[in-house]
Amino acid sequence: MAKTEQMSGRKRDERIAGYVFSLPAVALLIAFLVVPIIYTVYYSVFQYQVMRPNDITFIGFENYHKLITDSDFWISLKNTFYFTIVVVPVQCTLALALAMLVSKKFKGVSVFRTMYFSPQLTSMVVIAVLWTVLYNSNPNTGLINALLVNLGLEPINFLTNERTAMNSIIFMSAWQGAGYQMMIFLAGLQGIPRDQYEAASVDGATPWQQFWFVTIPNLKGTIKYVIMITMIQAMKLFTQPYVMTQGGPRNSTKTMVYYIYTQGFQKGNFGYACSVAAVFFVIVVAMSLILQKITSEE
Amino acid sequence: MKRKMLCSGLAIMMASSLMACGSSQSTGGDASTGTEGATQGDMDDAVITIWSPSDKESIENWWAEKIDEWNTAHPDMKAAREAIDRSDSYAYDNKIATAVTSNSLPSIFFVDGPQVSYYAANELIVPITDYFSDSIDDFDPATQAQCTYDGELYAISATQSGVAFYYNKDLLKECGVDTDDLDSRTIDNPITWSEMAEIAEKCTTDSYVGTHIIMDHGEGIPYALEPMYISEGKDYISDDGTTADGYVNSDESVKTTAFLADLIAKGYANVDPITDEFLNGACATELGGSWDVATLEANATFDWGVTYYPVADDTHKAVSPCGDWSAAVSKDCENVEATGEFLKWLMNTENVASYADAIAKPATRASAYDEECMASYAEGPRALFVEQLQNSAAPRPRTPSYATFSTDYAEAMSNIFSEAASTKAVDESYIKEQLDSVADSFAEDYNTYYAN
Amino acid sequence: MKSLKTQKALQKILFYAGNTIIGIIFVSPLIWMISASLKPEAKIFANMNSIQTFVPEDASFDNFIEVFRRVDLMNVFENTITYILLILVFDLLINSICGYALAKFRFKGRKLILSFVVALMVMPMEAILLPMYIEMSQLGWVNSLPALVVPSIAKCFSIYMFYNFFKDIPDDLLEAASIDGSSPIRTFFSIVMPISKTVYATVFILDFVAHWNDFMWPFLIMTGKENRTIQLAVQSFFGTQPVHYSAIMASLVLSAIPMIVMFIFMQKYYVEGIASSGIKG
Repeated sequence: MAKTEQMSGRKRDERIAGYVFSLPAVALLIAFLVVPIIYTVYYSVFQYQVMRPNDITFIGFENYHKLITDSDFWISLKNTFYFTIVVVPVQCTLALALAMLVSKKFKGVSVFRTMYFSPQLTSMVVIAVLWTVLYNSNPNTGLINALLVNLGLEPINFLTNERTAMNSIIFMSAWQGAGYQMMIFLAGLQGIPRDQYEAASVDGATPWQQFWFVTIPNLKGTIKYVIMITMIQAMKLFTQPYVMTQGGPRNSTKTMVYYIYTQGFQKGNFGYACSVAAVFFVIVVAMSLILQKITSEE
Repeated sequence: MKRKMLCSGLAIMMASSLMACGSSQSTGGDASTGTEGATQGDMDDAVITIWSPSDKESIENWWAEKIDEWNTAHPDMKAAREAIDRSDSYAYDNKIATAVTSNSLPSIFFVDGPQVSYYAANELIVPITDYFSDSIDDFDPATQAQCTYDGELYAISATQSGVAFYYNKDLLKECGVDTDDLDSRTIDNPITWSEMAEIAEKCTTDSYVGTHIIMDHGEGIPYALEPMYISEGKDYISDDGTTADGYVNSDESVKTTAFLADLIAKGYANVDPITDEFLNGACATELGGSWDVATLEANATFDWGVTYYPVADDTHKAVSPCGDWSAAVSKDCENVEATGEFLKWLMNTENVASYADAIAKPATRASAYDEECMASYAEGPRALFVEQLQNSAAPRPRTPSYATFSTDYAEAMSNIFSEAASTKAVDESYIKEQLDSVADSFAEDYNTYYAN
Repeated sequence: MKSLKTQKALQKILFYAGNTIIGIIFVSPLIWMISASLKPEAKIFANMNSIQTFVPEDASFDNFIEVFRRVDLMNVFENTITYILLILVFDLLINSICGYALAKFRFKGRKLILSFVVALMVMPMEAILLPMYIEMSQLGWVNSLPALVVPSIAKCFSIYMFYNFFKDIPDDLLEAASIDGSSPIRTFFSIVMPISKTVYATVFILDFVAHWNDFMWPFLIMTGKENRTIQLAVQSFFGTQPVHYSAIMASLVLSAIPMIVMFIFMQKYYVEGIASSGIKG
């Protein structure tokens, strides 16, 4: 009797605590994320040139109608998915490999951690400028092509050929971004109990077996989380195409966010950009919720 | 124990950040001593407020000095200028666009030349014709044209820019090109496209390419290449700014574009040239900006020259690029009278000359060249740019849909050049298709927002 | 015996050599940036076809002197660190309690909030810039500290990260505390927080870096020197044509220093969190 009372008391406490703890964040999210999103959806049914906010015309679903037949929209969507599908496994694997290299304490570990993380500490503008030059098509002015020519190969127009441009951005992005996921993996690796490794070691497991049978199972939650956020960040790809290729050549690096930005700000079609953003948002939300559902089962 | 540490740590962090916040606010008040590219004058007291892109030290100092001078003479009409830390002109436009939504534009803001029509058509800036009626003829014709929309003057600038044909004499001699001939050209006898192509061909070797076309994927492309189109016979857009169809996609324009693409297809120019390609000796010639004169004078380790912008073989019509940031009075300006007077003073001969000197660009006012600080423009490469400005400069199209046009045209050119570089051939039907789509999207933008 | 020792030593050398080579590949842009910051303008893009581009020729500190002359760097650092710390203090607190509630408390709406958080993660900032600005101007916050701080506090990424981390904390530990009479809220502050330093450090590092690199939002919302943040100061060197990369590179190097210091400092919280603090034992 006393026990059930205690239990229900605890349940009530938990319920109250749940609301108290989640309220501040939820309130802020509603105020500064949901409200702007509602604005975005609202403006998507208007003809709104960004430089004249006092002259907006209601046009119903015309923006959405236009969007369906807009080939640039579909290409951007396709490119965004392509980038995501390729970059997520590459970057996550790379990040996990890096994290494994520097997860244990050894002399100089923080130096190596800092090195691997350093592309994150360098401004994206510099990285994009540097890689644009590294990728330069002329062997006289581009380091990578100079190397290729020295090896007796043909130079490649990395960023100016529609077949290689997106892959060049993918390679560079995985390299730049891996440090971020590495830190999350590191945090996860710190949580794996030491004794499990010791037990495995006593049983004569090789490091590789330890990795498969101790590290991976213990890291499952972190891996799911990392895949999820890498995917979401990949869907938002913007800076690299903006700085390095401006979406070209032949739309091959035009991504959804890049398209929204150029439509909304560069060209000033704000209403239309809002409709693109709204559709993009719905697609990605659906995707991530499905993914969340899949990974949270069991 | 641990909890205590964490809590006190948090408390300290919070307290220190709040303190830092307080102190930063208290230091914020006296923001007027300014070599540092920021606020000059006191924004709160000011009757006239100005936004312009932040720039190099000499310009920041010029602003500080001028604002001081004005405020001393006009204590009742104080001015203050804010340096806007733009990363590119699109970011600057975003800043303007957001300020528009809250009606918080400053009295005066700077606009890049071709954007004047965009802002004027959207009624974000007001005419200033009356303040310059007696001095406008002193400004070069290209500036007058670029700043005029619908018959009214909407902006005014102190400096200009240009593009001409630079050549590395050392490399040209190595390849057997007669540099004396290039040196001796006049504005009536500039090199032609075929001469340019011939030099580019001769000077393409294993260690450098023959020439350089600006490929910044942005405004640089329409800016630097437009004179080619005009010289061949068709501008990007009709004179009245209403249509691009039959202009940017005309046969003449396709031919002009094909000529440029051919330079890339044959490997005479790089499709993605690096910054400072010419300075580093990686190309023998370039279509380079007037701002390169100072860079080359200070850094070049080779002998170089510069001649007039090349002309089309068929027409021999001399045309050259121009345009620079201009000051405009905003719709939110509460004291138009005082602001107009201020702008008139800011753009007087003496100020234009000292500004042009500080920013190392050609001045817009003819009388400015009589000032002592402009002496370096009397001869040599700088004089050539002034000569081009006064005789052959053509402003970019004056149309409210310029932003859309510029974005799409730059994209189309990137596509065309990339295609040429990949296939090592020029496909005129692809060029036509790309330029058609530029014309189409121009029409869509224009008809949506400005047609009636 | 001896051969085992040499084998161990060899393994160690290989391990360090491998780490160093990979490390160099990752750190090369930083090196290039530092090297470029020491070069005169004309040399920055010279020799891009050889490894020499990573070696500063004619090295001097002129570019740094120019940066110090043109920007009041101390003021800029102070502004930036102030607003980032303000964000982070609330970020760590508010997002962690929310993540904890979602991970450990049973209450109506929990699932809904979780889905809501996941869904909102995907909204790109670039797509809602203007509506955000409009909202700020309606609140009268334009050009004020709250506009910089308040909208950035709640972050779905952080909530989700905390949620994932707290989920793995064994329930026995929390139940033990509750049997001892500790309220759920107290349990969080007295038991959960202290053993979760690693996740706090991770969120701190990742969010600090993200805000340190913020350009567009501070640029749109703030005007004026007294409010200038680090990325605005860096962008001020872009100016109008021509772009001078020398001062840009120097300012970028200077802007990276506080981040590197922060990163190295935060490393020490990368201890073996949960396992070593005796949950299991």
